[in-house]
Amino acid sequence: MEFGTQTIQELLAGYRAKNFKPTEVVEKYLKNISERDEKLNSFLQVRPEETLKRARTLDAQIDNMSTLPLFGIPLAVKDNFLVNGWQATAGSKVLSGYISPYTATSVERLEAMGAVVVGKVNCDEFAMGSSNENSAFGPVRNPWDLERVPGGSSGGSSAAVAAGLATVSLGTDTGGSIRQPASLCGLVGLKPTYGRVSRYGIVSYASSLDQVGPFSRTVWDSARVMEVMSGFDPRDATSSKRSVPKFTEELNTNSKRTFKLGVSRAWLEGVDSDVAKSFDSALEVFKKMGCEIVEIDLPHTKYALSTYYLIAPSEASSNLARYDGVHYGYRTQSAKNSEELYSRSRGEGIGREVKLRIMLGTYALSAGYYDAFYLKANQVRRKIQEDFEKAFTQCDFVVSPTSPSTAFKLGEKTDDPLKMYLSDIFTLPVNLAGLPGLSMPCGLDSRNLPIGFQLIGKPFGEAELFLASHQYEQARGQFALPSMLKGKG
Amino acid sequence: MLSREEVLKIAKLARLTLTEDEIAFYQKQLTRVLGHIQDLNQVQTSKEAFVQHVPNDAESFREDRAAPFANPEGLMRNAPAVENDSFLLPTIVEHS
Repeated sequence: MEFGTQTIQELLAGYRAKNFKPTEVVEKYLKNISERDEKLNSFLQVRPEETLKRARTLDAQIDNMSTLPLFGIPLAVKDNFLVNGWQATAGSKVLSGYISPYTATSVERLEAMGAVVVGKVNCDEFAMGSSNENSAFGPVRNPWDLERVPGGSSGGSSAAVAAGLATVSLGTDTGGSIRQPASLCGLVGLKPTYGRVSRYGIVSYASSLDQVGPFSRTVWDSARVMEVMSGFDPRDATSSKRSVPKFTEELNTNSKRTFKLGVSRAWLEGVDSDVAKSFDSALEVFKKMGCEIVEIDLPHTKYALSTYYLIAPSEASSNLARYDGVHYGYRTQSAKNSEELYSRSRGEGIGREVKLRIMLGTYALSAGYYDAFYLKANQVRRKIQEDFEKAFTQCDFVVSPTSPSTAFKLGEKTDDPLKMYLSDIFTLPVNLAGLPGLSMPCGLDSRNLPIGFQLIGKPFGEAELFLASHQYEQARGQFALPSMLKGKG
Repeated sequence: MLSREEVLKIAKLARLTLTEDEIAFYQKQLTRVLGHIQDLNQVQTSKEAFVQHVPNDAESFREDRAAPFANPEGLMRNAPAVENDSFLLPTIVEHS
């Protein structure tokens, strides 16, 4: 039997029927990685012996699998998560060779419920980027077209699932880093509400925006990962104490609900015509399901890019001060004193885009500029949040395309930072407002590249997000596979 | 355009050694991004409070209690230079 494109639901059904056991499945995924990943560069570390050892312990538990909601599910983890004994480079030369001394809460919870880590996957350095071209370990290629990017920063997480190298994966989303690559690779990607999932054990980028979330083939799979991994963690002071609904239960009942979707036409100006067409067709599907489309106004979303590129770099300049060559990470060989040790280790170890963002943040926070930049950006951030609060008095979800274009070619946007940053115009405001956002595939463009549809929910409204997207998914039918998987499992 | 001196000042504050090529590169890139960011001045803001981004039921304040860490060896193993459980650094104050 071929493995790769199965969902969590399908694998669990197969295990229950004893059609196969975890070692057989995991072996096949490891084989897929060794055969297909040379072209993609999505995996930065695999440890077949460790992974198989873990699968063998699950083999012995197959009769008790009902207590393990992710029993034997192959999981790829972005390389900015700590998993005890595994590397965690965050795509940076600075952390090359770093071995995690403990495990992130999110991964710990998934492993405890039966998930099997098959590898650590590539990403833009310190999760800063929209194309995975900023990784110190080379770019990742999109399984739908190897000349194109998979999106970023969680490009390895999206490429790995899209190519059938893992059933689900974890990423982080600070300004769109889960939803945009999910969109470019034809997957479901969720950025949960800020505070829903613990950030303990992930490499910090911008702490008021970072969230952990899953990549999967279906909405149900996303809901399953979320119900296991969400919830209060005393080790993350921003994690919410709110109880976590059994997200999949409502999906299982197949209950139908109708929703009001809010669209801001002004916000959508300038998207590629294929994307616009596909977005409108998806709206028609929602209408047929009984949903109502209402026009809303989000007057401050046009300032999201500037707001984000002040707040995120400011937080990054502080968070990344820890890479000083003292306690861990890259250390220069040429320092004569401590001052040189810090500056040269950072200068030699940190990559181009990350240095740009550190300097932007340092500038924005420096004496004389703080009020004009950082304070102003936080005031505008509040206005963006208020735009959404107001919109939610008129609708249940705000919807948009996830990305203004489909996957672009490697090198196409690397010369101009603003061109690259514009890839995230529909995702950035969601992080600034702390809301949950889900991207799911809604069509293909003329080049056969996937297009993503984004639903933005109210704070802690993941259950409704799942329900609406699940209903759409049922109406849409099974989504296409990349051509490299045609005829494969 | 940001001057060479301004870039060097920011780099010094950020503790980043830059090559000559990088100085010229970041002069352009910082100018480009900071130029765009000026659009925030079009937004009227006066007394708005900061954004509320942390869930109001989060345990932002708690008792500061020390807890044992299971793997101190794992922490030390990642250090670039260690001697007797201490991190090694270049000399800070020279003996005279």
